[in-house]
Amino acid sequence: MTDTPREQELIVSKQILSIEQTFSTGPIMGHFLRELRDNQRIMALRCRANGRFLLPPREVDAWSLSDDLEWIEVGPEGTLCEFDVVYYASPDPLTGATRNVPYVIGWVILDGVEGLSPLWHLIHTTDIPALRHGLRVRAVFAETRTGAMEDIVHFEVLNTGETGP
Amino acid sequence: MTTDAFTIAGKMALPYQYFAGATSSRCIVALRDEKKILASRCERSDRTVFPPRQVCDLTFEDLSDNWVEVSDRGTITGFTIIRYAEPYQPMAPPYVLALIRLDGSDATLTHIVHSEDIETVAIGQRVNAVFAETPVNNILAIRHFCCVPTDSDSP
Repeated sequence: MTDTPREQELIVSKQILSIEQTFSTGPIMGHFLRELRDNQRIMALRCRANGRFLLPPREVDAWSLSDDLEWIEVGPEGTLCEFDVVYYASPDPLTGATRNVPYVIGWVILDGVEGLSPLWHLIHTTDIPALRHGLRVRAVFAETRTGAMEDIVHFEVLNTGETGP
Repeated sequence: MTTDAFTIAGKMALPYQYFAGATSSRCIVALRDEKKILASRCERSDRTVFPPRQVCDLTFEDLSDNWVEVSDRGTITGFTIIRYAEPYQPMAPPYVLALIRLDGSDATLTHIVHSEDIETVAIGQRVNAVFAETPVNNILAIRHFCCVPTDSDSP
């Protein structure tokens, strides 16, 4: 080996592997996604044992271990309770495309939800510095819906000037 | 309730970068630009290996600068016939993937063997490297190997 660095062509292979997959919703997520797609309604599950809201819904409440659950429509408006501004241009795992930055993801407590059971989604705003806890937001549904979380495109900020509870 | 269940067809995209490193890059550039097959030579273990490696796996000698050219002819030491289609295959099935020991090399490489009748491919079959006509930045700079008749200079 010589100590002086050599000029050398170093080969890098950039690829995007695309893997076909099928997601089986099961009955609970199936009902939730069907309501999003067909009726533009956001459905949460409420546990009758302890009153906890499950959103997105689950088959069994993790705290009470009860499957005695009832469907309750919530939203589409809600209150922003936490948010992150993302500057890292990560790849979208569904397409491989690099995401546009910055974008905002937020935890939204939808109207009708009791307790701290937030829905996590994109927050659309043209004014990131103006974001703050307590802003009122509303779900914007896609025109063409497939039965996926993307049926809600994002939550838009409502210019009501008021802040929620 | 179960009538609500349905399936969603989707895709998962996995972007990644593979860095060939100094040793493999040198080898691929030689295949691509000069149609030369460069192997790594370890004097201590008296072995020549293709595909090349930076370090000998027996003696741990640094082989970075010990390049020797080996023949574009070799012998099949093992093979399989791929009969099913799957994403990211190098060509449409059926095709032969074989372990090939090039003349002058003590290791085998895995590559495609092209044959008029793949059912006649056998261990011991002599093969010849066919280089890609357009530049390729991976082992497919050798497009495939062709079967050739057993010759008198076989080792």
